[in-house]
Amino acid sequence: MESERTQEYLEAIYKRQRTEKPVATSTLAEDLKVSPPAVTDMLRSLESRGLIDYKASKGAILTGRGREQAVAVIRRHRLWERFLTDVLGMKWDKVHEEACKLEHVTSPEIEDGLSQVLGNVNTCPHGHSIPDKSGNIKEKGMSPLSKCQAGQPLCVSAIDREAPALLRKIEKLGLRPGIPVSIIKKNKDGTMDLEAGGKKISINGEMAGVLLVSPATRAKEGAVTGEIPLSKLASGHSGIIRTCGSGRSSLGRCLSLGFTPGSMVKMMENFSSGPVLVKVHDTEVALGRGLAEKITVYPNAKI
Amino acid sequence: MIEKTEEKSIVVALAGAPNVGKSTVFNLLTGLSQHVGNWPGKTIEQKTGILRRGNWTINIVDLPGTYSLTANSAEEQIARDYLVKGNPDVVVAVLNAASLERNLYLVAELIELSPRLIIALNMIDVAHHQGMKINPEALASTLNVPVIPVIANKNKGLKELVEQIVLEYDRPPGSREVKHIEYGSEIKDTIDHVADLLTPEITDPYPQHWTAMKLLEGDEQINKLIRMRCPVDRWQILDDYLGENESAAVDIATLRFEWVEKMVAVAQEKPHIGWVSFSERIDRAATHPIVGLLILVGILGLIFWLVYSLGIPIQKFLEVNLIEKGRALVFGNLSFMPLWFQSFWADGILSGVGTVLTFIPILFFFFAAWAAMEDIGYTARAAFVTDRFMHLLGLHGKSCLPLVLGFGCNVPAVLGTRIIDSPRARLLTILLTPLVPCSGRMAVIAIVAAAFFGSQAVLVCIGIIIFSLLMLVLIGIILNRFIIRGESSALIMELPLYHVPDARLIGIVTWQSILAFIKRAGTIILAVSLVVWLLGIIPNSNINDSILSQFGKMIEPAGRLMGLNWQMMVALLTSFIAKENTIATLGVLLGGNGGDLSQQLKQIMTPAAVLSFLVFQVLFIPCVATVAAIKQETGGWRWPLFSVAFQLILSFAGAILIYQIARLTGF
Repeated sequence: MESERTQEYLEAIYKRQRTEKPVATSTLAEDLKVSPPAVTDMLRSLESRGLIDYKASKGAILTGRGREQAVAVIRRHRLWERFLTDVLGMKWDKVHEEACKLEHVTSPEIEDGLSQVLGNVNTCPHGHSIPDKSGNIKEKGMSPLSKCQAGQPLCVSAIDREAPALLRKIEKLGLRPGIPVSIIKKNKDGTMDLEAGGKKISINGEMAGVLLVSPATRAKEGAVTGEIPLSKLASGHSGIIRTCGSGRSSLGRCLSLGFTPGSMVKMMENFSSGPVLVKVHDTEVALGRGLAEKITVYPNAKI
Repeated sequence: MIEKTEEKSIVVALAGAPNVGKSTVFNLLTGLSQHVGNWPGKTIEQKTGILRRGNWTINIVDLPGTYSLTANSAEEQIARDYLVKGNPDVVVAVLNAASLERNLYLVAELIELSPRLIIALNMIDVAHHQGMKINPEALASTLNVPVIPVIANKNKGLKELVEQIVLEYDRPPGSREVKHIEYGSEIKDTIDHVADLLTPEITDPYPQHWTAMKLLEGDEQINKLIRMRCPVDRWQILDDYLGENESAAVDIATLRFEWVEKMVAVAQEKPHIGWVSFSERIDRAATHPIVGLLILVGILGLIFWLVYSLGIPIQKFLEVNLIEKGRALVFGNLSFMPLWFQSFWADGILSGVGTVLTFIPILFFFFAAWAAMEDIGYTARAAFVTDRFMHLLGLHGKSCLPLVLGFGCNVPAVLGTRIIDSPRARLLTILLTPLVPCSGRMAVIAIVAAAFFGSQAVLVCIGIIIFSLLMLVLIGIILNRFIIRGESSALIMELPLYHVPDARLIGIVTWQSILAFIKRAGTIILAVSLVVWLLGIIPNSNINDSILSQFGKMIEPAGRLMGLNWQMMVALLTSFIAKENTIATLGVLLGGNGGDLSQQLKQIMTPAAVLSFLVFQVLFIPCVATVAAIKQETGGWRWPLFSVAFQLILSFAGAILIYQIARLTGF
């Protein structure tokens, strides 16, 4: 196992890479609260061990091996965070710092034990995906709320910072991962008026930058049950597509027209025979009844 | 940029889904300097055009409309093959801002292929009417691809688009890193695994990684290609692996749409929930099973009324003023020449040209009406409301409208089958079209029935039409079940937003359709007219002694089975050039007997014989213009010849059957 310092560097680079590639020395210095020359030294050493590609003028990118290491640490970190909140009942603003210490002293046995105790969880309390044991991480399509437009049905997916004060404020507003939100108004100073979980609230620019959201139709996991064929969905009702089980010849066309699992459909017209008319991905699409029978949906799913 | 004097040329491909206004963008960019041809080996139109700007010559290729780069149809295969193999310098993706979510899917695929990509965000105004606000800058910065807002039908933003094309072409390679889709490590590994089983030689000219993805997406054309090129044992491994990962197709599409939704969340402000757009409001009526059908009947009624009240008079006018006067001119000025020479010009050339010419006014109105319906977005609605009726024939709604057009003229009907995306359904529809009684056939039926049956003519006419439609259904079922095998395709189509028709676009489309008809069908019609003329005057300029008549007399025994004498048979044969010819030929052949058509018919025909004549007329082989159109659309002689042969058999069988039944029941 790499040293604690190394692990922290890899972790920091991995997190930053999502938005910044390559990651600049100055960014890392800020994140890790170290002086830039110290960062440069460390990055050189990491490069010599084949964990990163580093160019002084540009910054660092993880190599395949570096990524592997980083993901392993992140897995332990997020499992610990989950354990601390779910099992020990700690607040979500406290667990990050504790997990930062624990992640470096976790043997593979303890890692397995944690994952067994926690069972089927796939995100940390702040909403980030936990990588699986072989290092696969299911990336979620997320954008900062500040970049989104008004009116879109959205859902809080994760919080991008672990600063305790900020997390407490976010919690006070009721903006936990999984909560549906939509922007009512974006103000010039960066603040926003939101509708979140049925309430109207205002948030400042900093918060808008760290709240990661995804389109609401994706926030379906575990929320609904009872699938029916699309052809049974009544006019005016909505559903979320579960499977697109049509035959080979039409599958490609169905997929490229947006009948993908997780997509929202609204039935516009469904008379007991003949083709149906649905709205999917913002356009109306006519479907032969035979095809509509092969697509299954979760009806009346809440968004 | 430093001024350069030498000419530089850029090849630009216009890509985009159907209903994004791509043709309007293309027409505005290239004006009338377009070339319309066919894609090599296909019957799909290829449009290219040239735009000159300073020292730049910009060659624009208009690709067929596609939702994705997976070959679900011939159009999609052409578009993606061009993008992959044709190496265009710059690709312009035309998107409909009002259905951004749907259109960005293609962009998700394009950014994996095209290093120089520009997005033309069309119909910004329509999106606005739909209650959406689009932020092109946000989209551009998130995608890291230039986005040019355009309102093509108001000619806005096209100048900027051209400037951007030049800029993009001049951009040093590698100066912009386009953000690719994150497929997640699981899918990425699967794709990589497939790619590792391939080699550049196997996938050439497609990129290896891209081919791997298309194999996983279940693209049949790529699958076939790789199976052919791969060593057998390697293919076995690959095929097994693809089988294990069948779900990858759905996963990849899902991830792309997740990516799309992320882009949309950044770039688009949606209308508040519960907002119903204008299009949706119209659709509640236009797609209703009963109201929608009534609307369809109304619209079709209007089109036929237009054709008959405007097209037919113009046709008559042309006939009188050009053909008749032309003939008079020939006979007047060439009287010193031998008679056969005069006849060659007057009866051969002029009447052949006349046939082509007289088609044009009718075709003009049909083509224009069709283009308008397409542009407004109505054809998809018509297909939707008629879908339920077409299943019996193994067809879906898209086949209905072309067939209905056939009542006017079979030629635009055959050309109209282009809206059908499944090749099998399209072929079936084309073969059924000649069974729809066109206006020419109806004219003959009406005249002959009126001349013979008097007051009962209307009943006879309606009976004949119902009979021919029943035959259409019957033949449709037979062709579907036994002749043209294959899975009948299901209806899946986008209903585009309605929009105000663009007169310029309709004009260009109509003009191009007519031009194509004259070019392709015109020569065939003229040639056949000349041959029939020749057969009619050899050996001694008297039609009663001609080869044509000889032939008629030769097949008289067959004619006798259906109660027809040789004059009637010859009249039917000449209907091959144009259905209306039957009447003219009858006039010439029976003219010697004196009296009008009605008396002559009553003298030589029994009611049973007239019935069989009418049945023969509606079922007889398609006219030469239709045959030419079938050849044009099916890309060879195989299907037009099939159509002629089976209708020949059908018409003989039908007429004999009707004659014998009518005789036995005492007519």
